[in-house]
Amino acid sequence: MQNKSMIVCRCEEVSYDELVEVASENNCSARELKLRTRAAMGYCGGRTCRTMVDHIAHKHHPRQDSEISLKYQAPIRPVRFAELGEVK
Amino acid sequence: MKNKVIIIGAGPAGLSAAITLAEKNIAVLVIDEYLYAGGRLLGQLYEESPGKWWNGIAVSKRLFERAKALNVELLLQTSVSDLEKIEQEWTVHTNKGVFRTRQLLLATGAAESPFPIPGWTLPGVMSVGAAQVMTNVHRVKPGKRGVIIGVNVLSSAIAMELQIASVQVAAITLPATNLLTEDSGNPLEVMNSLLHVSQMAPSPLVKIGSKFMKNEFMKKLGITFYPKNGVKMWDIPIMLRKAVVEIVGKDQVEGVVIATVNTDGSIVLGSEKRIKADFVCIAGGLYPLAELASLAGCPFHYIEQLGGFIPLHNEQMETNLEGLHVAGNITGIEGAKVALAQGKVAALTIAYKLNTGTTKQEIQRAIEDVETTRANAHIQFHPEVLAGRQQLKKIWTESFLKVTK
Repeated sequence: MQNKSMIVCRCEEVSYDELVEVASENNCSARELKLRTRAAMGYCGGRTCRTMVDHIAHKHHPRQDSEISLKYQAPIRPVRFAELGEVK
Repeated sequence: MKNKVIIIGAGPAGLSAAITLAEKNIAVLVIDEYLYAGGRLLGQLYEESPGKWWNGIAVSKRLFERAKALNVELLLQTSVSDLEKIEQEWTVHTNKGVFRTRQLLLATGAAESPFPIPGWTLPGVMSVGAAQVMTNVHRVKPGKRGVIIGVNVLSSAIAMELQIASVQVAAITLPATNLLTEDSGNPLEVMNSLLHVSQMAPSPLVKIGSKFMKNEFMKKLGITFYPKNGVKMWDIPIMLRKAVVEIVGKDQVEGVVIATVNTDGSIVLGSEKRIKADFVCIAGGLYPLAELASLAGCPFHYIEQLGGFIPLHNEQMETNLEGLHVAGNITGIEGAKVALAQGKVAALTIAYKLNTGTTKQEIQRAIEDVETTRANAHIQFHPEVLAGRQQLKKIWTESFLKVTK
C-alpha cells in the first residue's frame, strides 16, 4: 500500500508514514509529534487531522487523560487581519 | 447586550436552552456558524418505529420558530474565534463583533474524526456527515453511486437516508487496517459494536443473532462464516469481510479497490477487486467539539465512551468556571433528544442563578428527564455511554465537590 503518499495533514502535507516514523523513532507525545512534523499546524488549525495525529502519537506515548493532548490556540477559526486590527 | 445570556451553537441543545430561558423572560443571544439553525439535527431522518419518522428539518424548524416567537436573538453565519474572561465577563470574539455576558452556554456539538485511506484526498471523497448534509439539508446528491467506508451506527443510518434520496450505496464496508483504523478495520470489533446497537436496526445482522453471539467463540464463528458479499440491510450490502484498500480515480473518484479480509482485518492477498463509484464517504465517528471550553481554561478528561476529551461538568451542566455551562455533544456523543434535554437543564441552572423564580426541583426534574431520555435512546453511539457518564461524575466529585461545599 502507498502509505507514503497517503496524506494525513492536508494543510502541511504530512504523510501517514512520516508521522508513524517520527512517532516511533522518538516515542513522542502528540504535541512533540506536531512540532516535529508540523502536522496540525496549518491553516485549519488541525480541525481535520487532530484526532489522527493524537492517535498515532498515543501508540508510542501514553496519553495523559486529564489534559487535552493537542492544545487549542486562538483564533480557532480563520480571521481577517482587518478584524484583528480593527481597521475600518 | 450586557444582560443577555449568550449561547454558542444553534443545534438541539442550544435551541432548547434558548427557548427555556426565553420562557423565563430572560434575554438570549444565540450564535452559530451555519446558514440555518438546527445544527446536526438538520440532517437527521429515520424511522423511529413503523410509520413514525424523526425528521430533523421539521424538528429544527419548530424549535427555530418557537425561539423566534419568544424574541430569542439569533446570529447565524457567525464564527466565534476566541473566548476569554475579562473582569468577570465572558468575552466572545466573532466575525460580527465582540459580545459580553456573565452567563455563557457552550453548545458547540461534535465534529467528525476521519481516517485516511490511500486516495482519500481525491475530489469526491467526503465525510459521511457531509454526504448527509448535502443530501438532506441542501438537497444535492453527492453522486450517483457511493461507497461508505466505516461500519457503525451513524454510517448505516446515513446510508439509509441516501437510499431514500435515490442515491445508490454500492456497499458499506471496512477500511483496510493501519494504525488509525485498527478498530474500525477489525471485523470482530465492528461486529461487537454493531451487536450492541442491534435494537436500533431492523437488520439481518440482528437475526444472525444477538442471542447467538453472546460469547466470543460464537462471535468469531459468526464473523468467520459472515457472507463475503455481505448481508443486505435496506438493500445495501454491509460487508464486514471486505475492506477498501484504495480509493482510485484520475481527477476524481472513479471507484474503490476492495479486498477480502480475515477475521483479524488482515488482507487476503490476491482478492482485490475494483468496484465503481463516483463518491466515497468516510465514517470515522464523532468527537466532542470542545475548542472554546479549552480556550476558556476548563479542565478536561479523556473518556472513550463519550467520544474523546470532555470538559469536566456536573449534572447541572456547570463547568468549574464561574458562568460557563455546557450542553449537548460537547459533553459526550449522544443523540439529539439527549441534547434537547441537556439544553433545558443548562438553561434552568442559569435561570436559577439569575433569580427568576426557578426552583431546584425544576432543575432536578430536568436532570431526571435527561436520564430517562438516555435510557430510552433509539440510537446509542457508544454501548457504554452510561459508564462514561458515571466516570465523569466521579471525576467531577473528586475534583471539585470538596471545594464547593
